[in-house]
Amino acid sequence: MSAEEERRQEIPGRRRGLFSSWLLILGIVVAVLVYAFAWQITEIDLEKLVTGAPDMVHIVKQLLQPDLLTRDKEYQLAYGDFRVPCGTAFPQQPAASESEPYMVLSHLCGEPGEPLGVEGFNFRPNTKGILRWIPPVGTKRSLKRIDTDSEGHFALGIAVPDVPASEELQEIEVELKWDVGLPYPSETTRIVLSKMVQTIMLALMATTVGVFVAVPLSFLAARNLMSKYRSTMIVYFLIRGVFNIVRSIEPYIWAIIFAVWVGIGPFAGVLALGMHSIAALGKLYSEQVESIDPGPIEAIQATGANALQTVIYAVVPQIVPPYIAFTIYRWDINVRMSTVIGFVGGGGIGFILIQWVNLLRYKQAGVAVWAIVIVVWTMDVVSSWVREKVV
Amino acid sequence: MLEIQNLTKIYDGGTVALRNVSMKVEDGEFLVIIGLSGSGKSTLLRCINRLIEPTEGRIIIDGVDVTELSGEELRKTRRRIGMIFQQFNLVRRSSVLTNVLSGRLGYVSPWRSAVGRFPKKDMEKALGALRQVGILDQAYKRADELSGGQQQRVGIARALMQDPTLILADEPVASLDPATSHSILRYLEELNREKGVTVLCSLHFLSLARAYATRMIALKDGEVVFEGSPAEIDDARFKEIYGEDAIQVEIR
Repeated sequence: MSAEEERRQEIPGRRRGLFSSWLLILGIVVAVLVYAFAWQITEIDLEKLVTGAPDMVHIVKQLLQPDLLTRDKEYQLAYGDFRVPCGTAFPQQPAASESEPYMVLSHLCGEPGEPLGVEGFNFRPNTKGILRWIPPVGTKRSLKRIDTDSEGHFALGIAVPDVPASEELQEIEVELKWDVGLPYPSETTRIVLSKMVQTIMLALMATTVGVFVAVPLSFLAARNLMSKYRSTMIVYFLIRGVFNIVRSIEPYIWAIIFAVWVGIGPFAGVLALGMHSIAALGKLYSEQVESIDPGPIEAIQATGANALQTVIYAVVPQIVPPYIAFTIYRWDINVRMSTVIGFVGGGGIGFILIQWVNLLRYKQAGVAVWAIVIVVWTMDVVSSWVREKVV
Repeated sequence: MLEIQNLTKIYDGGTVALRNVSMKVEDGEFLVIIGLSGSGKSTLLRCINRLIEPTEGRIIIDGVDVTELSGEELRKTRRRIGMIFQQFNLVRRSSVLTNVLSGRLGYVSPWRSAVGRFPKKDMEKALGALRQVGILDQAYKRADELSGGQQQRVGIARALMQDPTLILADEPVASLDPATSHSILRYLEELNREKGVTVLCSLHFLSLARAYATRMIALKDGEVVFEGSPAEIDDARFKEIYGEDAIQVEIR
């Protein structure tokens, strides 16, 4: 055994090296187990990404065709009677007319599943419509789409639907529907606009609440102003602590709390975002006060200025531009948050959006989504522009 | 005349910044205070206008004991003492003109100035002061857009607004390059010679001190270790003030 090898054997770290490699293997095993468990408990199923895709595509398509504009509709209706099953009495064939639309049925009674020919005359040319079956009891069923030709005629074949046999007559309805007049904003658009205004105003009120409470508190939460006495230091720690606690609670939680307190609606949203803004702005403001340059204060005092003049000429110019910048930035954030605070009862556009989503009315939801995108983007651009100008 | 008697300043932490300093400054003098960093120069200047409260001693300006003053009287005394700082101490986000006008705060009505209104006479005076220091064309720029030398000129213009009888200059050129340093000190010299303003100026460089001082004082560890004319500082004196290892660096 050479001297070199001997020395190496004496190094106690070698044993520990072996030990640490065991630790490493153990660590890897534990990590694998943890990830396997996590994979299972979070129900990760990559297959669903593929199987669910068609639904997603459907929703996205709807979202991309928002119900923005609408046009007035006009309708044309015609009816025919049918009997299931055939009995002694026959219904009448609808009356033919020179000018009024009417339909002709290939026969007037039959069993469910039997083919039935329907022909229409004198309808509005080149128009889309729908053929419905109205049983004497139960709900209407839409059976087939209709396209009239240039003469206002259509002919199609249906199967008698699976309706219960009845003495009473079944009714066949043909409805054509077309747009007239100029497009105008839809009901959805009007709702979204008014809710968007509510959302922006909600953000404005929340920011205002935040500013009015945070500005005075920010001075009490600035270490450089409060470090002189023990009593003021207690106030400093108290306010800082409250800021940190309030800030660590998400606005959504606050919205739930206030929705219980003052009821679902924009007021709960104002309080929730206001609460969060107080803490967030308070912290930013107080940090600004802390980073104030004492030089100008000294210089202004040296000119013989009194305390008020010193504050106005040396302190205010140093803190007002950043205060304005932070406030606008906060409003920007609040607008963004208020669009979704409605999900949890905070009013505004989020409230109506989540309702539409739950009702599967994606075309309406699309309008809300687009409105949110436009407003948030605009606020972002404007706020960054103003902040650049101010600071 | 400014008279300092047995001035001592001990900071809260126990640091002794000034130890029993006494001196007299005649009207119209250009007194340069030299000494190492931490020798007490800044503290001495700030005690004179009470930006720093002296622990002991008296400061008498034209027969008035400044250490006894408070409130309105203190502000009335301060407004005749201009002050110039190493870091200029301008309000960076305010305009040059506003910075200069703030030199007038001790004179104008607090309520008018609170809303940013100065008498027309003061506006003209401010523009005149800016013309005097050669940066009238910068009046409406933000203070932090100016170069170091220009900012210090704003500082001088602000001091001029006070119609000072005494100017305290705390390392006014320590943040500037040599050429700019000379131009700034020349403004102070001009004020001193032509308007008879007494100047108390602390400087790092002996060569600058020699060029402008009518008299010099050297501080070391809060005590006056030299008092006399610039010519009297020879190599031995220099080592006494700055320590054995110091080497003279010249600024021409």
